[in-house]
Amino acid sequence: MQNISLYVNKKSFVHDVDFLTKLIYIFVFIAIPIISGSVIIGLLAILISLILHTCAGVLKKLIPIVALSLFVLLSVIIVQAAFIPGYHIVFFSLGPVHFYQEGLIHASLIIVRFLDILLVSSLTVLTTRPSDIVETLQRKGLSHRMGYVINSIFQIIPQMVSSMKTISDAQRSRGMETEGNLFVRVKAFLPLIGPVVISSLVGTRERAMALEARAFSADAKRTYFHEEMKYRYKTPVRIILLLLLVVSIIWRVL
Amino acid sequence: MNLIDVQNLHFSYPEGIELLKGIDLAFDHRSTAIIGQNGAGKTTFVKLLKGLLKPVSGDILINGVNTKEISVAKLAAHIGLVFQNPGDQIFKSSVYDEVIFGPHNIGIPEDEADESTKKALIEVGLENKVNDNPYDLSFSERKLISIASILAMNTQIVLLDEPTIAQDDYGKQLIQGLVRKLEGEGRLVISILHDMDFVAETFTRTLVFQNGKVTMDNDTKSVFSQTEAVRRAYLEPPHVTQLGNRLGYTETYLTAEQFVKDSLRKREEFKQ
Repeated sequence: MQNISLYVNKKSFVHDVDFLTKLIYIFVFIAIPIISGSVIIGLLAILISLILHTCAGVLKKLIPIVALSLFVLLSVIIVQAAFIPGYHIVFFSLGPVHFYQEGLIHASLIIVRFLDILLVSSLTVLTTRPSDIVETLQRKGLSHRMGYVINSIFQIIPQMVSSMKTISDAQRSRGMETEGNLFVRVKAFLPLIGPVVISSLVGTRERAMALEARAFSADAKRTYFHEEMKYRYKTPVRIILLLLLVVSIIWRVL
Repeated sequence: MNLIDVQNLHFSYPEGIELLKGIDLAFDHRSTAIIGQNGAGKTTFVKLLKGLLKPVSGDILINGVNTKEISVAKLAAHIGLVFQNPGDQIFKSSVYDEVIFGPHNIGIPEDEADESTKKALIEVGLENKVNDNPYDLSFSERKLISIASILAMNTQIVLLDEPTIAQDDYGKQLIQGLVRKLEGEGRLVISILHDMDFVAETFTRTLVFQNGKVTMDNDTKSVFSQTEAVRRAYLEPPHVTQLGNRLGYTETYLTAEQFVKDSLRKREEFKQ
């Protein structure tokens, strides 16, 4: 079955870091470039994230994520450099459209921040198992119902995709044409909706009953199958990260 | 000409292990059971016959037409497949509409489609439920609807994936009757099954799949006479065959009737 999680199962020191430390890393590495307001600091944060991606062996997986965001980045450059009023210094022109230097500087700041957020988040997503994220949050007080909802998304969506494929095969087997122009495709889509919705509803009801049969609503204190992920250097790493944040605030204030 | 020709068929999913490893088979009108342990490649093979999957190498010819060169929808007029789970196909709000969906798709004229739909519903014993919502019926009845929906298309080849699932004795006998009737009409029925008693009682030919290869291919009696080979494929011979073996009979029994008849004859011989 297809997996919708982006997690890459590898062995690296980045994978060993616990989710809460990674959460602090996300917060600190997003906050520092914003607090500093410096493109250089932002670029430095990006560079560190890229090195960490390389160490974790997930750099390849980052490429499509960044590629998908290129459209957004391009829009930022065009809007900021060419369509924001009040700028005066023309950097270059494309026909009647002028691109202003002030706009390009502002756009570069936004792009650096955007990439920084993208990279720190992707590092966590690519190197942390979704179930570990949910379990960590549950240990910290997230309701087990919400935890189940999050976990089940990763299970149910691929199941639905797989079931759509089987249902589509079943209808094609009875002579339903699914290939051709838009009208043919839309017409072919209708017979899929019924079985998919019905099987999802039936599945949900069965799942709810199966959960209740296994005491899902019980009030007892829960135990966990997996041991809590314990990163050996979590305390020094967290302290360093928070110190960096404090230093950047002081530097900014002074 | 054979109804189906399978030539040096190889198949694997992208980035997956090879599931089918060089299969050569020819199918005439004899009803054929496909048996084998889970993961042996049976369902993949049937999906390839239906054109839902395309061979990585080798060819499958349905009535001389290569499945690589025809869409599944067009192939539907020649070969029907009853899926394991009826929930995968049922979407109409009445049994009649569900069954007539296929005949309409392959362009059978309205009056003929109506006739074949009603006939198919009689054959599966659902003629009194034509206006019922399929989802108000039991799982076994929904399975019969999915069988009827393929029968109504009058295809020369019918593929069944686990038709006996959730069927009681009545349902099994009904399906057995259908397989025999279709075979009698010169139509080919190929079915994946795990119920060896049903295979023994119903099918003329049996194929044993193991690790992506056909390890046994013969008439059903010959296949089940090789008890050790059947067990090596992680299959259990039919109960009546096992009973005969344990009593030391040399004959391979496929039905209880044969077994009882022979036992009575032996008893009479012993008395004399």
